[in-house]
Amino acid sequence: MFSSFTLLFMAALLSLALHRTMWLKPFAVGATLIALLLTYSGSSIGLSGFENSEAVRLFTMILEIVLVALILHEEEDMTITQTLFIGTASIALLQSHTLLTFIIAFEAVSIISFVLVSHIKTSAQAEGAVKMFIAGSIATGILLLGAALYLIGGGKLGAPIVLESTTLSTMGLFVMLLGLFYKLTIVPMHGWAADTYALVRHSHAAILTGVAKTVVAVSMFHLFAPFLAEHLTMTVPMMAVLAVVTMTMGNFLALFQKRIARILAYSSIAHAGYMLLAFAAVKSGYASTGLLYMAIAYIFMQSAVFLLLDILRKKYNIQTLDDIKGLAKQHKGLALFFTVQLFSLAGIPLLAGFLGKAVVFYAVVDAGLWYITLIALLNSALSVGYYAWIVKHLYFDALEGKKLQVGSSKVQMISQTILLAGTIFFGIFASWVFVAGNSF
Amino acid sequence: MSPLYLIFGPIVLSAFTALLGEKRGGTVRTVALVLFTAMLFYSLDLLSILPETGYMDLGTYLPVEQFNFALTLQVDHLSVIMLILTSLLLILVTLSSWTMKNATAYFSLLILFAGPITGVFMSTNLLWFFIFWELTLVPMYFLVGIWGAEGRIYAAVKFFLYTHVASMLILLAFFLIHKETGSFDMTVVKESMLASPVLIWWLLFTGFAVKMPIFPFHTWLPDAHVQAPAPISVLLAGVLLKMGAYAMIRMVVLMLPEQSENFAWVILTLGLITLFYAGFMALYETHLKKMVAYSSISHMGLVTVSIATLSYSGLSAALFEMIGHALIISPLFLIAGFLHHKTGSWQMEDMGGLMQKAPYLSALFVLAGLAALGLPGTMGFIGELTILISSIKAYGFWLIIVALASMIGAGYIIWTFRRVIYGEMSETVKNSNFKMNRVEFFALIIFSVLIIFFGLFPSSLFEVINAAFVSLAAQGGL
Amino acid sequence: MMTLSFLLLLLPMIGALLAFTLGLKKKSYAFWTAEVTGVALFLITLILLINYKAPIDIPMTWFEVGSFSIPFGIYIDKLSLVMLLIATGLGLLDIHFAHDYMGEDPHQPRYYAKVLFFIGGMILLVSAKDMVGLFVGWEFMGLASYLLISFWHQQKDPADAGVSAFLFTRFGDIFLFAAIGLLFYFTGTLDLVKLNDLSLSGELDKNMMFIIAVFIFIAAIGKSGQFPLFPWLMRAMEGPTTVSALIHGATMVNSGIYIVARLFDFYVAAEALLVVATVGALSAFIGATSALVQKELKKVLAYSTMSHLSIAFVGLGVGSLAAGMTHLVNHAVFKALLFLGAGAVIMSAHHVKDMWRLGGLGKKLMWVALFMGMGVLSLSGIPPFSGFYSKDAVIASAILNPESFGLISTLVTIAGLLSMAYIGRLWFLTFAGEPRDKALFEKVTAPSAFWILLPLGIMAVATLIMGFFQGSIAEMVSGKAFEEPHVTGLFFGLMAGITLLLLIVYYYYVKRPDITAKIAAQPLMKTIHGILFNGYYIEKMIFWFTHNVVIESFAKTINWIDRHIVDAAVNGMIGLSQKVTRIFAHTHSGRVGDNSGAMALGLLLLLAAMVAGGAV
Repeated sequence: MFSSFTLLFMAALLSLALHRTMWLKPFAVGATLIALLLTYSGSSIGLSGFENSEAVRLFTMILEIVLVALILHEEEDMTITQTLFIGTASIALLQSHTLLTFIIAFEAVSIISFVLVSHIKTSAQAEGAVKMFIAGSIATGILLLGAALYLIGGGKLGAPIVLESTTLSTMGLFVMLLGLFYKLTIVPMHGWAADTYALVRHSHAAILTGVAKTVVAVSMFHLFAPFLAEHLTMTVPMMAVLAVVTMTMGNFLALFQKRIARILAYSSIAHAGYMLLAFAAVKSGYASTGLLYMAIAYIFMQSAVFLLLDILRKKYNIQTLDDIKGLAKQHKGLALFFTVQLFSLAGIPLLAGFLGKAVVFYAVVDAGLWYITLIALLNSALSVGYYAWIVKHLYFDALEGKKLQVGSSKVQMISQTILLAGTIFFGIFASWVFVAGNSF
Repeated sequence: MSPLYLIFGPIVLSAFTALLGEKRGGTVRTVALVLFTAMLFYSLDLLSILPETGYMDLGTYLPVEQFNFALTLQVDHLSVIMLILTSLLLILVTLSSWTMKNATAYFSLLILFAGPITGVFMSTNLLWFFIFWELTLVPMYFLVGIWGAEGRIYAAVKFFLYTHVASMLILLAFFLIHKETGSFDMTVVKESMLASPVLIWWLLFTGFAVKMPIFPFHTWLPDAHVQAPAPISVLLAGVLLKMGAYAMIRMVVLMLPEQSENFAWVILTLGLITLFYAGFMALYETHLKKMVAYSSISHMGLVTVSIATLSYSGLSAALFEMIGHALIISPLFLIAGFLHHKTGSWQMEDMGGLMQKAPYLSALFVLAGLAALGLPGTMGFIGELTILISSIKAYGFWLIIVALASMIGAGYIIWTFRRVIYGEMSETVKNSNFKMNRVEFFALIIFSVLIIFFGLFPSSLFEVINAAFVSLAAQGGL
Repeated sequence: MMTLSFLLLLLPMIGALLAFTLGLKKKSYAFWTAEVTGVALFLITLILLINYKAPIDIPMTWFEVGSFSIPFGIYIDKLSLVMLLIATGLGLLDIHFAHDYMGEDPHQPRYYAKVLFFIGGMILLVSAKDMVGLFVGWEFMGLASYLLISFWHQQKDPADAGVSAFLFTRFGDIFLFAAIGLLFYFTGTLDLVKLNDLSLSGELDKNMMFIIAVFIFIAAIGKSGQFPLFPWLMRAMEGPTTVSALIHGATMVNSGIYIVARLFDFYVAAEALLVVATVGALSAFIGATSALVQKELKKVLAYSTMSHLSIAFVGLGVGSLAAGMTHLVNHAVFKALLFLGAGAVIMSAHHVKDMWRLGGLGKKLMWVALFMGMGVLSLSGIPPFSGFYSKDAVIASAILNPESFGLISTLVTIAGLLSMAYIGRLWFLTFAGEPRDKALFEKVTAPSAFWILLPLGIMAVATLIMGFFQGSIAEMVSGKAFEEPHVTGLFFGLMAGITLLLLIVYYYYVKRPDITAKIAAQPLMKTIHGILFNGYYIEKMIFWFTHNVVIESFAKTINWIDRHIVDAAVNGMIGLSQKVTRIFAHTHSGRVGDNSGAMALGLLLLLAAMVAGGAV
């Protein structure tokens, strides 16, 4: 059965052959576009343990669009290949329906992430990679421990997750969740993220935080939501508390950072907290749509900002806020892209980030937890502080000292445009997501 | 023309104009002027086809049934009045910014502003209302942060954050409303459907109180107004504050009448405190533009008091005062900013004897100041008179203290005249040149003419205003 | 009739606009526009008077707010007509006089426009059918007064005087404004005639009526320069003398009395007249005594104005509408005469206002001295000049009324008598004796007959002739036939007192000024002089209060609260955020070991929570 999954997989393998030729990028982009068409026409992996749905289809299409953008941006051959591989694994993860397929796909994504960041050129990158790797290993261990407990307690590998009413299976599920939280950067499994996202190459970080995180979130929700919904009294307090702690910690730590990458790293952690709220709100019918929306918004925004950072850092070594003072005067386009995506992260309306947050926050209200929403909203307001602060440097400050000759390649601008279009489109036209969200 | 174009058109248009280079500043300026004039004519046209009471449907777009989230556009007299006021002010702001630097960016931002503000007044879907409400903050942030004075960054960030936090409360209230009624449509939602009206009332009241602003949530305004370039202060005072008042009327008083009755004393008390508190702040102030800012807050306190009457005449009086306030405070801001621009000083003690050097400018300043203190013949008097009568009728004779506030106003206005306009010419004034661009001066004249015209013939305005609230006459007979 | 009424109201405003715009082309156009407008207004008034059959009553609605209807109608009865005659007649003479007086001034267009605007305000005031129109006219006049007092705003003193005038009167106006609100609330009507009728019917709450009446009276105190809101009137002398004559001698300051007269029935029913009489008597005394020691021509006249307006108030306050209003009419004429006469003196003496530098001017300014002398006689209350009759009537009424017999009647009698003293002093110092500043005396020029002497003469003759028509005037203003109150012996007592004072003043100021100087040098005299010269230090006290209490204490405190509490709370958020961030930052050491440890800890905690939570 020819599906986007198989196509991407083969494309990834083939791409290895095209390294150091000029055909790599067009080939990769082309393959992803064809995959997009395949997804649109409703292809699915077709193996047992995998299941497609409207939501998955939509998200996969978006994933593919973002992959196109990522590939267009990337100049390093190996990363392009890795991107294709991660795309493949992601599709599998998204469609995974049973515990076994989920764990396998999840690990696939994880391992490819490790490989991705193992392209080490500086010691900082090394630090980031190592931290991620060690944390990831521990997390995997916890995940497998949880899985084992679950299985011993009566769960089945080849079936969707259902809670048998044994203590062991309950424990197992919770422990699994904890392990998965590592990838989602939820407290207390988040420690590695701030450093890794900030230290590794920004284009890699884009994949880690943009693609991997959202894919994991969506698939986790798909798998665990029924369980969560059945046992609200247990799960809701845990999810809510973790979500609140994560978002608060992330936002506050982002506030006074000087290096942009760090700000965005902590912001990423905070956003994970918002996403977790959807897990706490499963009682509401809107939770699934909310998560889906947030994931869609997030994948666009986060990839965009880290790719932008990549442009700024790679050629001109712009790292801190001071470095971007007055950038708007020199490079209108970059500043504009950056600003819009930052505002989307902040939750400014007419941008996808707002609707994503709005639906999730609404779901929390709908689930009867309006005071949690209040905290989340205040957190969101707090975050505006640092996003607006970055924008301030771009536009309000005068150009200092050296005149940077900042420029970017046309292809990278196209990539940004794609991502911007996504952010804006889903900021205005919400019905697609809602239709899809209903059939999670 | 579909009103959808009026909302999203400017947003898209601004993207295009922003791409034109710096040299095309004049073109963008003209585009802005044309756009706002078109808006004005459109709004006036709407006024003529409005039904006597109730809403007129302008279409529903971008529906998302699952979430009751559709861009429902409906207008009634209140919204159309706000639209007319807004477009008029946008035109005048454009005229007053005729010589602004970085014109392309500046006017593009103004154009960007026009879209959401139209949406605020036109949309009856609470979530879309919120979207547009929030969006207006973005161009303002940039307008203050880039073209403002020395402390602009602090002011812009403070303004953005403070009002944004308030908006979060509003969003929460909207969420609760949807949860409890199943609808985001403000024309459908009735207070009786709500399960937690008290909480919702307080969330909405606090959120809108920050915008109006009401004590103690007013401290963002002096900084924002002072640091913003003068035409943007006009926009802030004339449009943004009115957004808050509009929302307060629409969503607090009209949508939640029972709770509003229960808590009317809160609105009244805070309004009175604002009125006097800001008046005294203005009295003590020696910074010219800050004084105007506090005067502005004080007048919004007056509006708040009138809103607190929850009555037909009280709300009508409030709306009149809102319009009057916008028209009166604008020339004061514009001239104060202009004086700073030409003399380099904000302090009133550095000025003096301006009448001798710039008689016509001074005369307009005096006119606006007299209107601010409520001199008959100007809109200010009508506003004060009607508010006095309405509030006494609603709350009893002790509301005559509102008249006392007028005395404080007289105090700081006349004192300002003495320090800035009259008296001996100061060195600073002697050495400065006060030639104002013709177009900018023309804007001041329009303000002055309107202030006097509606001060002498208020019935033309009241006919429209009364229609906005006549549905309240059926209840209470006030 | 209706068209004439509208014309009467609109013409001054149109005239003002024309005067300004035409005057910009050529200065004299401003004057001629004003003169023509003045003549037209006076003629219209005369026509209205001659053709008077019944009050002109034109009800109109200004606008509707909600369910309230705000009226703005026209009502011209005999009382209005008398006031209109004064306003337009004296207004015309004043404009005429200004031709020479303001002839050299570069800002004539502004001047005439403002004067016409002022006259328009006065016309509106007395022609208004409702409190709203009255208030608008009231405020218009206040504005014109402010602008004209600070006409020479380039200098410090006139500018300060303008501020003083506006704020003092505004303070009173606030009470009028509040009264309007109260009237609307308690009576439902703002119609002046209806209010009077309503008050007589006994339907209204007495206490509320009293409060409203007092509030309105406070506004009257402000506008008419009564205690304690009189200091502005003295400062107002910084304006051109023609302004002082018209506004602060003859017309605007009468508004206070007018409004009490207009609502006389209301005041009777509210039993507030005693308040009026008391304040009036006190002010009369203060004004008269302060006028005794002033050294500037105009200041004497200003205090005199205060004092005589008080006398008019007393007349009203003791129940005699006729006496009070007649005195107002008489006073308007002779005060305008005196002020313009003083203007002629000042002009001729090259803008010297200090009487101690004048003297002996009678030789050079014979006609002025003569006309002013007639004004002096009228003001002192010597028959057959008009001033006598009304003052006598007021004093008599005060004595006859049992409520006011005692302090009030004594004070007002003293004030009445002292008029001779201070005005005689003024005349003698200025015109009689030897010139005190010889160099100045040489430079004194005689004024033009047509422009200066003519108006003076007209007014002088008028104040004499009016003495024979007091009955008609009284009837016109009160609507009833006038019965002269009679107190035995009063006439002789007053005449004796006046003559005595005249002789005393003549002696001490003309014959033996050296004794006067010696008496004045004594310490007790110096103190008393200080008190009287400074208007009993009322102004200083008010300034002190406003500056130190209102501004420096109250406003300053609010400013402090705003900066250190309200706003500090907002700014404090930043500091708070930093603290919270630091707490969080402790958990982020960046060390891998710590991260892993945290993860493991998390796992353990989770297990513990589940055990505790009973999930296991």
